[in-house]
Amino acid sequence: MLGNKNWRVLLALLAVVAMLGAACGGDDADTDAGGSEGGDEIEHEEFEEGSTMAKIVEKGEVTIGVKFDVPPFGFENPQSGEVEGFDVDMGKYIAEHLGVEPKFVEAISDNRIPFLQDGTVDIILSTMTITTDREAEIDFAGPYFIANGRILVPEDSDIAGIEDLTGKKVCTAIGSTYESTLKEQAPEADLKTVEAYSDCLTLIQNGQVDAVSTDNVILTGMIIQSGEDFPLKLVGDNLTTEPYGVGLPNKTDDMREFVNGVLQDSFDDGTWQSIYDEWVGQFVEGEPEHPEDFTLDDALKLFPCSEFCDKK
Amino acid sequence: MGDLFAILTRNFDSFSAGFLTTCRLVFVSFAIAMAVGTLIGGLRAAPSKALNRIGAIYVEFFRNIPLLVLIYIVYDGLARGGLRLSAFVAGTLCLGLYTAAYVAESIRSGVFAVGKGQFDAALSLGFTQGETLRKIVLPQAIRTVIPPLGNLTIAMIKNSAILGGSLLAINDLLLNGRLIANNNARYVQTFFWAAVGYLILTGAATIAVRVLEKRLVIKR
Repeated sequence: MLGNKNWRVLLALLAVVAMLGAACGGDDADTDAGGSEGGDEIEHEEFEEGSTMAKIVEKGEVTIGVKFDVPPFGFENPQSGEVEGFDVDMGKYIAEHLGVEPKFVEAISDNRIPFLQDGTVDIILSTMTITTDREAEIDFAGPYFIANGRILVPEDSDIAGIEDLTGKKVCTAIGSTYESTLKEQAPEADLKTVEAYSDCLTLIQNGQVDAVSTDNVILTGMIIQSGEDFPLKLVGDNLTTEPYGVGLPNKTDDMREFVNGVLQDSFDDGTWQSIYDEWVGQFVEGEPEHPEDFTLDDALKLFPCSEFCDKK
Repeated sequence: MGDLFAILTRNFDSFSAGFLTTCRLVFVSFAIAMAVGTLIGGLRAAPSKALNRIGAIYVEFFRNIPLLVLIYIVYDGLARGGLRLSAFVAGTLCLGLYTAAYVAESIRSGVFAVGKGQFDAALSLGFTQGETLRKIVLPQAIRTVIPPLGNLTIAMIKNSAILGGSLLAINDLLLNGRLIANNNARYVQTFFWAAVGYLILTGAATIAVRVLEKRLVIKR
């Protein structure tokens, strides 16, 4: 019989082998859960070896960071548990063109860029405004949507515009462009920055803040969520123009070109319009600008370099 | 790690404002925690079963509820019910009352560490129960209790970061750090300096504990 000591060594070795076996064996089981529905209408190209797209195809799925709490762009449907919205549908369209399944993870304003930089996600579709500062850290494709900044207040509020925000508490998200926008346009306002827009909704409902400021579509989503119990309204003029861009890892020109091509396809074949009509059209009055007419440079000019902007 | 010092110098105002706010949060919460904690600790150490139970209810409630949940109840729940507390008041109240539960238990064990002989001797000398506690027992208990209270203070300093990241949106060191990190896309560098800030506070607490221990120790 093996001595006591040797049994333990053997057991330890078996444990290690078992763990290695589990780690290696896992890959084959997970890919291709459910084939693409509706057949492959989109012809996806064979990508050049070594290109960013080819690497994604090799992985078998494209990881897309979206908001989980911002209707109508990215939000978790409480009944189905699935995330849905404008950003999600655009993500699915890009995934179709890549020829892989999309996997959606939550990316809040605060962590989306780090997620892209460390490879947690391949693409960001997270109501992210194109700015020169961000362009220095990541690559943008698009713009794919043009939003405008507005102010949200309770229906019975006296606040009618940006001037009335003096001395009032205004909520926005950490990492959004509104922190600096509000500092410029309403320096006397008391700014409350929180992790997620759902917190801003909580705060305006319980009266701890007097207003919320961010993109009109996000605010409209809040009005819908708030419903009859806590009626809210949009006031004031457009504060800003916010072109949303698709976030891609830094210095991946092949991916940027590819995604821009996909976006153009979506403009041409009507997909963009139908996604717009489904998620945004019914909630927003008037026609916002079409992103097709907006170039990346136009967008970058709106938000020029501020602090640490390496012109690499 | 480029820009390590640049991120500090360029955003010094924001870092220092955040640091000072964290100091204010910590001082006020500390005061609440010590005051309420001593009171509840006294209840828990008192001979009366009824007082014990009141103290126990407090301790069980605040020990078993996560700090973040407490913040939601106080800042959101109460506001929806009509009582709107300012973020600073809600934050320090939550952190203070929460830490007080742990302080109370430390003090209770400190009191029980004082030999029973002390109680008996005091009572036989004619001190009342209350006087015994206040004049004889608690002063000795405090000596035992300084190191655990020091630990609780350090834990409280770290918990103050939860206030900044939460619904309260208090511009403490952590929140200002997150804003700086996002505006400059320099994450590691910014959080390095935020960590230094918290280290200064916890370091100060550690030194204070050592000084107090030295002064109060019974020479063996």
